[in-house]
Amino acid sequence: MKRSAAEIVREYGPFAGIEAVHGVTYDGKHVWFASGDKLNALDPADGKIARSIDVAAHAGTAFDGRHLFQIAEDRIQKIDAATGKVLGTIPSPGAGGDSGLAWAEGSLWVGQYRERKIHQVDPETGKILRTIESKRFVTGVTWVDGELWHGTWENEESDVRRIDPETGKVLEQLDLPAGTGVSGLESDGGDQFFCGGGGRGNVRAIRRPRRS
Amino acid sequence: MESLITAAARALEAGDPLGALNRIALRNDAPSLALRGIAMAQLGDLAKAKTLLRSAARAFGPREAVARARCVVAEAEIALVSRDLNWPMKALAAARATLEKHGDLANAAHAGHIEARRLLLLGRPDEAERTLAELGALILPPASQVVRELVVAGIAIRRLRTKEARAALGRAAGAAHLARIPALAAEVESASLVLDTPAARLIARGKERPLLLGEVEALAASKALVVDTFHYSVRNGGIFVSLGTRPVLFALARHLAQSWPADVSREALIAAAFRARHADESHRARLRVEMGRLRAKLKPLADVTATKQGFALTPHKTRDVLVLARPIEEKHAGILALLSDGEPWSSSALALALDTSARTVQRALDELARSSKVQFFGHGRARRWMTPPVPGFPTGLLLPAPLLKT
Repeated sequence: MKRSAAEIVREYGPFAGIEAVHGVTYDGKHVWFASGDKLNALDPADGKIARSIDVAAHAGTAFDGRHLFQIAEDRIQKIDAATGKVLGTIPSPGAGGDSGLAWAEGSLWVGQYRERKIHQVDPETGKILRTIESKRFVTGVTWVDGELWHGTWENEESDVRRIDPETGKVLEQLDLPAGTGVSGLESDGGDQFFCGGGGRGNVRAIRRPRRS
Repeated sequence: MESLITAAARALEAGDPLGALNRIALRNDAPSLALRGIAMAQLGDLAKAKTLLRSAARAFGPREAVARARCVVAEAEIALVSRDLNWPMKALAAARATLEKHGDLANAAHAGHIEARRLLLLGRPDEAERTLAELGALILPPASQVVRELVVAGIAIRRLRTKEARAALGRAAGAAHLARIPALAAEVESASLVLDTPAARLIARGKERPLLLGEVEALAASKALVVDTFHYSVRNGGIFVSLGTRPVLFALARHLAQSWPADVSREALIAAAFRARHADESHRARLRVEMGRLRAKLKPLADVTATKQGFALTPHKTRDVLVLARPIEEKHAGILALLSDGEPWSSSALALALDTSARTVQRALDELARSSKVQFFGHGRARRWMTPPVPGFPTGLLLPAPLLKT
């Protein structure tokens, strides 16, 4: 396992009126983040919030190319990114104990925080297709280039780690500075991750290690 | 954090404990137990709240020291509000240290405020002030600022510094407005009432009138000879004679002062000091002895002279004698004063705060209960005493918002 300190590229926020960041995703232009009763579109170029959608947003956030998915209480809402309208909901696999959310390969991937699990879920029905065990409390989940990464957060200690999707084995780990939390994780498709900073109400961009 | 926990925590912060319970009522994981505990505390079931918070503290794993410490702080606050003053303060101090170590300064400050409030209730304003000073001048969230200023005001009120108290209460009201928690604003308002409600009575030349706290403060600078029934003392300027351990001498001094410049008959003094209805020769002899003792005690301040009828007071340096008395003279005024905060007290907490024996307090409470001046609920050690409730009295439980930040 490769282990190193996370390289923080940039910090966004905290933002006025936003107490905490609960989930993060990226639509190719904006970083969307969940702040309790809103989904906010942050422009990573200028660090400003371009628009917000009024919708319950308590945990993970994901984007499938057209729709935003947002966990609220014990369900996953499917939201039209253009209009902000909630198109439908499915039950969340952790019945409310859910935290991270990602979209990849036609499935939703949902972190179940205290159970230290990641579920692969059918986005139409909410059926659990399979479950990956992690070693730490799971917060954010993301897929990039066939790699499964997730954030962990236990008692003011956080890291971002790549795990083997078959076995759950940790392959690589990026430690965040002590006292920071990771709530929400999303890759920008390139060499960066966006992480939610939990109760600090900020979003951080960190470097994804290059493959040699 | 987790979705439902976030939703429930937000409901709690918005002052909707039932909404929070709706979301997590059936869950028994550690964060749910903690939130259920806080919701129950807000709903007034402090016993249930305490049990839930204790289970939550146990359920959090060894890696979750911060969450565990927050539970301890919440439990300590519930103990304070239920006037369980014997609650282990060491655990609170340890929790405070943990929170400080992990950079959760807002909750660490909250823990410090709870310690200071307890010290204030126990009548130890100096230690309360030291505890506040240890916390330093942190920038706190508005709800915590309110608590801090309430403690500052409480210390100032106990030291009779009304200007300081008023300034602190003004800052508290401003912070309560920012915090947008109605219970906090109500608590500040009821604390402010203290300054505008008579705190004492002034008795001079056989007449009496109510005094506000500010007027009591002004009295400290007066040139008069003051017999102070709050501190069982007689003072004039810088000279201070304590009669706290001499109740008979104090009763005599007080009656002489109340009638001043007239004298008081032997019969009246015997009735007042010895609680004897008919004065016989042995009472007269005892009165002479006690008057001799009083004369010796008051020597720096006044003469006690015999008259045809009885005795009279002649102050040395002033032409004025005043008695500062409690607003309502009750036999058990001390207990009633503590209970007037509207919270349920255990008899042991009352004994601790009054620095007297539990037996004495128990006897007084039984007597007050017979005349319906106090009421109790619960049995055995769990029995709590309170004055008949005032409608809308706030619970004083301020824990929710600062506790829930992740």
